Amino acid sequence: MRIKQFIQYLAMLFILTTLVASSCKKTEPDPVVPPATPYTIDVPYGFPTNYNIPTDNPMTVEGIKLGRYLYYDERLSGKADEGMPQTCGSCHLQQFSFENGIGKGIGTTGAQTHHTMLPHINLLWNPGNYGWNGSVASIEDDVHGVVTDPTEFASTPEKVVAAIQKVSIYPPMFEAAFGTPEITMDRIAKAIAQFVRTLISSDSRFDKNLRGELILTDSERRGLILFTTEAGGDCFHCHGAPGNPLMTTNLFYNNAKDSVFDITHDRYSVTGSTTDIGAYKATTLRNIEYTGPYMHDGRFQTLDEVLEFYNQGLVYSVYAHPLMHKLVPPFGIGAELNPSQLNDLKAFLLALSDTTFINNKELSSPF
Amino acid sequence: MQLSKYKLFLILIVASAISMASSCKKTEPVEDPVTTGSLNMSFDFYFDNNPIIFDSMMYVNAAGNEYMVYEVRYFISKVTIYKAGVATVLNGWANEHLIHSKIPTTLNWPIVDKIEAGNYDSISFTLGFTDADNIPYMFVNPPETEMVWPEYLGGGYHYLKIEGKWKAPNDYLRGSAFHLGRGQIYDAGGIITGFIDNSFRVSLPNSSFSITATNSTNVTLRMHIEQWFENPTVYDHNVYGGDIMSNQESMGIVRDNGWNVFELIK
Repeated sequence: MRIKQFIQYLAMLFILTTLVASSCKKTEPDPVVPPATPYTIDVPYGFPTNYNIPTDNPMTVEGIKLGRYLYYDERLSGKADEGMPQTCGSCHLQQFSFENGIGKGIGTTGAQTHHTMLPHINLLWNPGNYGWNGSVASIEDDVHGVVTDPTEFASTPEKVVAAIQKVSIYPPMFEAAFGTPEITMDRIAKAIAQFVRTLISSDSRFDKNLRGELILTDSERRGLILFTTEAGGDCFHCHGAPGNPLMTTNLFYNNAKDSVFDITHDRYSVTGSTTDIGAYKATTLRNIEYTGPYMHDGRFQTLDEVLEFYNQGLVYSVYAHPLMHKLVPPFGIGAELNPSQLNDLKAFLLALSDTTFINNKELSSPF
Repeated sequence: MQLSKYKLFLILIVASAISMASSCKKTEPVEDPVTTGSLNMSFDFYFDNNPIIFDSMMYVNAAGNEYMVYEVRYFISKVTIYKAGVATVLNGWANEHLIHSKIPTTLNWPIVDKIEAGNYDSISFTLGFTDADNIPYMFVNPPETEMVWPEYLGGGYHYLKIEGKWKAPNDYLRGSAFHLGRGQIYDAGGIITGFIDNSFRVSLPNSSFSITATNSTNVTLRMHIEQWFENPTVYDHNVYGGDIMSNQESMGIVRDNGWNVFELIK
């Protein structure tokens, strides 16, 4: 009897223990949608290993795919049914290194943007100062801004979301990217930003030279020396060099274009520092061949005009950046290179063109 | 009687379980008392013994040039501490640091090395990098990559950048890129035939300090900017111009004037 009792106790103890142990297990619901696939950045040779991906928008294969569709879908303006279709790709064309090739952008109403377009290229490495004056903190913010900007979509988030919701391909794509089919402006911005971060240009002749795959021509080599020496053009302090191959510092400089300034849209308008009066971003020179007209206001139509400006067209003002040391007041002057040197400098700039990038079908419209 | 057997059996099981559980406990070794501390360096910029005001045309150098400073960037490397004639290079993790006047996070450098507690006699460092340490493309991330020194001019990295403006004799402002890095040797035809290591050691006077066990000692490395332009050679911007990277005469003056630019504040 007592043995029987003891066995009963043991059995009860076993059941109790099993129950306690099983109660510790979390009840996981069966996943309906598999989690999005993490995307790994393949950092090009020599490029920075630190890049800028917001913690609340990690890149995924599905998110990038969705972003690519949205980037090229002209229903994104939310005004296609009003006869005003527009999307990112309307002004950021791959053939122009994701710039528009004509200067200032033209929005759905025909209004012009205040500044020229900037190419969507290597923005993964932008530290958080997007645009000519650095006023935009993230690509996601930029997408939100484009929607409501009267010179761009001149639309509303509600219209945009409603337009995208109507397209049957999108709910499953949002579900794959974000876990549920819900379409929000925030998710639209995140997906587009993910795609834009994949627009990496790193296969120019300059890159191939850095990787040891080819030798630059004599003219390109002479141009590189002019590019990187103060006695030459001294372009590298603002626009990078081998060793800083983004070909931009992503910083802001008054590059001696003017003596009178529009302080409502320059870097000063963002920082309030007088040293930023008339200052704009030193844009990347990668694919510069494709991204004219040049400067924040598109005043120069050709690369030759730009070179001529830096060669002998500088304009004196007290606000010119110290690195514009070739400014010799009261006159402007500039690098004062001879025609042969200018040709060499241009040859180097053209060596920054990346035809692989502008022809990459994985970055082109999926429609 | 039978129950006692089972009791005994149960006691044995419990005892062995306790014994097994306790055998899983790691035996913590008795730690030796910590005898090391650490050093934290901060950085600031002074002019005539006052904190410098950037972007203000309010200073006059020894040559009489009125000037202003936009920003200062410089590398220090091979920080070395001395105690009773024994030198210790602090290079536990990285032996260089970039100081950038516009990036606050660079103005403080917690050195990772564990330093034996005690009184140290002095501290020294290299301004920039010696040729052996000035390895082209060793940095891939900004802001260090913004200090790249062109391969054609010797390669590696700028040791120092002081950018600002000075008032030229005609009262116009001119840009000054006061940059130091590898110098060049030119032949009569202007062809570069060799390079010069313009880095230099800075032995800080009155730089004794103490490290106490488990604590971090804070010191500040202060740059007296006016000293770059006056001792032993007066540096006149009107003579040397706004850019000096290809001018070894100018860079030689900068190098030689650098010996008493720095002070350690404890």
